[in-house]
Amino acid sequence: MQPLRIALAQIAPRLGDLEANLARHHELLAEARADGAGLVVFPELGLTGYQLQDLAAEVAIRLDDPRLARFVAATGGISAVVSFVEESADHRLFIAAALVEDGEIRHVHRKVYLPTYGLFDERRFYAPGGVLRAAPSRLGVGVGLAVCEDFWHVSTPQLLALGGAQLLINVSSSPGRDLAATNEVGLGTATSWRTLMRTYAQLTTSFVVFCNRVGVDESISFWGGSEVIAPSGAALFSAPMFDEGLFSVDVDLADVRRERIALPLLRDERPELVVREWRRLVAERAGLAPDSTADVGAPSPHDDERRASADAGAVATEP
Amino acid sequence: MFVLPDELAIDTAVARRVIGAFIRGQIQQAGFDRTVVGLSGGVDSALVAFLVAEAIGAERLLCVLMPYRTSSPASRGDAEEVVRRLGCASEVVDISPMVDGFFGRDGAAGAAGPEGLDASPLRRGNLMARMRMSTLYDRSVTWGGLVVGTGNKTESLIGYTTLFGDSACAFNPIGDLYKSQVRQVSADIGVPEAIIRKAPSADLWPGQTDETEAGFTYHDLDRLLFWRIDKRRSVDEMVAMGFDRATVERVDRMVATSEFKRQVPPIAKLGPRTAGVDYLYPRRRPGSARG
Repeated sequence: MQPLRIALAQIAPRLGDLEANLARHHELLAEARADGAGLVVFPELGLTGYQLQDLAAEVAIRLDDPRLARFVAATGGISAVVSFVEESADHRLFIAAALVEDGEIRHVHRKVYLPTYGLFDERRFYAPGGVLRAAPSRLGVGVGLAVCEDFWHVSTPQLLALGGAQLLINVSSSPGRDLAATNEVGLGTATSWRTLMRTYAQLTTSFVVFCNRVGVDESISFWGGSEVIAPSGAALFSAPMFDEGLFSVDVDLADVRRERIALPLLRDERPELVVREWRRLVAERAGLAPDSTADVGAPSPHDDERRASADAGAVATEP
Repeated sequence: MFVLPDELAIDTAVARRVIGAFIRGQIQQAGFDRTVVGLSGGVDSALVAFLVAEAIGAERLLCVLMPYRTSSPASRGDAEEVVRRLGCASEVVDISPMVDGFFGRDGAAGAAGPEGLDASPLRRGNLMARMRMSTLYDRSVTWGGLVVGTGNKTESLIGYTTLFGDSACAFNPIGDLYKSQVRQVSADIGVPEAIIRKAPSADLWPGQTDETEAGFTYHDLDRLLFWRIDKRRSVDEMVAMGFDRATVERVDRMVATSEFKRQVPPIAKLGPRTAGVDYLYPRRRPGSARG
C-alpha cells in the first residue's frame, strides 16, 4: 500500500491579480497539508487567471521571482503543482506548470501545444514549450506534467508514461461549451475530457489527475469537474462541475504496479517502430521524401512523374 | 407550449448554472451589485429577468417597462405579470413624449421637422429602441445597476436588432441561445406560459409579429442557422438535408449584411497600439471595477 492523498484545488482565479491568487494558493496549500494531503494540484494559470491577452506580459514572472520563491518555500513535506506565466531570460512568455516540493522547484513544464483556433488565441501571446519530460518526485513515482491542450495530443501522455511517469497530471483552464442535451453530463467539453482521461489512464496504465478551474473570465465559463482516474481507467473521483472547492482523493500508488503487471501495455510499446514511422512522416512533410499518402494531384516536389500520371488519371475519370 | 427542434435541445440545468455564474461574475467584476432590465412583455426579456433574479436575487433587479402609446396593452400586462412573479422593483417610463417629440404627432412637427411626421416604421422603430436604451442607461445611474442585454442569438444573427438600441447592454446572458432555446429555458425556469406561447413581436405596430414579417418561423430559422453556422454545413449540404435553397441563401444574406451589428466599429489604425487591434486587454482586470 502506497497511500497518497491528492488535493484538487478547483479554484476561480482572479484575472490578472497575482497577489490575490498567490494568497489563495498559500491558504489552500495550508488547508491541504492540514488535511493530510501529500500532493495538491492547482489549475492552469491559477496564479494569474486565463484570459490575460496583453496582461500576460504584466503578470509574467521569472522562476527566481521572490513571490514564487515564498510559495515554493512553503512546500516542505508536500508536493504541489502550480501554474503561472513564466518569462524566460530571453523574454519569451510560457504557460508553465511547476512541480514544487520540499521547498524546491523540481520540474517546470512549459505548455507544448498552444491552441489558436475557435475561442483560443494562445499562440498570439505565448511561446510553445519544446520539452516533454517526466520528473522524479518525492512521492516515489515519476510525475508527468501537462497543461490543458497538451492532452489533446495523444503523444503527450504516451511520451510521459514511457519517460517514467506513473502519475500524469493535467492542469487546465478548460472553457465549457456545447450544452446539447444529448451530452453525457450536459456539457460537450466535459464529455470529451472525461473520455480522454479514462482512455489515457487505461492506455498508459497510470494515474491521471485532472485539475480544471471554475469561474468566469469575460465570456467564458470554466467547468471544473476535476478528476482522478485509476490506472485501470476507472474514475476514483469526479469533482462537481462549476463549484469551487478543495477536494481530497485517496489513492494507492501500488495500483500502477498491479495494473502494469496484469496489462503490460507499456512493456509492449514499440518506440523504435514509432520513431521510424515518425521520421518517415517528418521527411515526407518536409518534402525530403515522396509523400506516400498524398491526395491525387497534390504537389510533391520529388515525385513529378507520379503526379503527372495521377493528374492524367483524374482527368480520365471525368464523365 | 412550443415545438423545440431536437438538435437545439440543451441541458437547461447546465445553462442556468453557467448563465448564473456569468451574471454574478459580470456585475462583481464591474464593481456593481444591481442590474437593470428593460421588460417588454416578450419571452426574451422575461427570461433575462428570471435568470437575473435567480442569479443575484430579485431585490437587486429593476425592471423598466417602456411602452409607446401604440404598444399592445397585452404586452404591458405580461410584463407586469413577470414583475409580480419575481417581486422585483419596477418602473414604467412612457417613451411616447420622447419619440413624438422627435418625429412629431397629430400634424404638429417635432424636432425632426415636418418631414418627421412621415417617418417610416423602420425609423420610428429604431428611435423607439434607442429611446429605450437611453432610458435604461439613465436608470443604470439612478438605480446603480448594469444594463443587462435581452437579445437572442437568432435575431442577432439575422440582424433583427437596432444598433445602439435594443442590442446595447453591459453584458448579455442569452445572446448565445436561439429563440427556441430561449423558450426551452423559459419553460424550465418558470416564465409564465402565456409569454412563452405567444407570437414574438417587436410591437412596433398593432398586430406585427416577427414571423410574418420575416416570412419564416423561428422553429425553421433556428434549425437553419444552427446547421449553417454552428455546424458549418454548406448550402448544398443544407439543401441535401431538406432545406429550401432560396431560403438558405436569403438567410445567408441577412447574416452577412448584419455583420456590422455584431461587432465593435473599426478604428483607423494609425498609432503603435490600437484598441481592438493590437491593444488587447480583458474588459475586467485589476483596477477596472467601479471604485
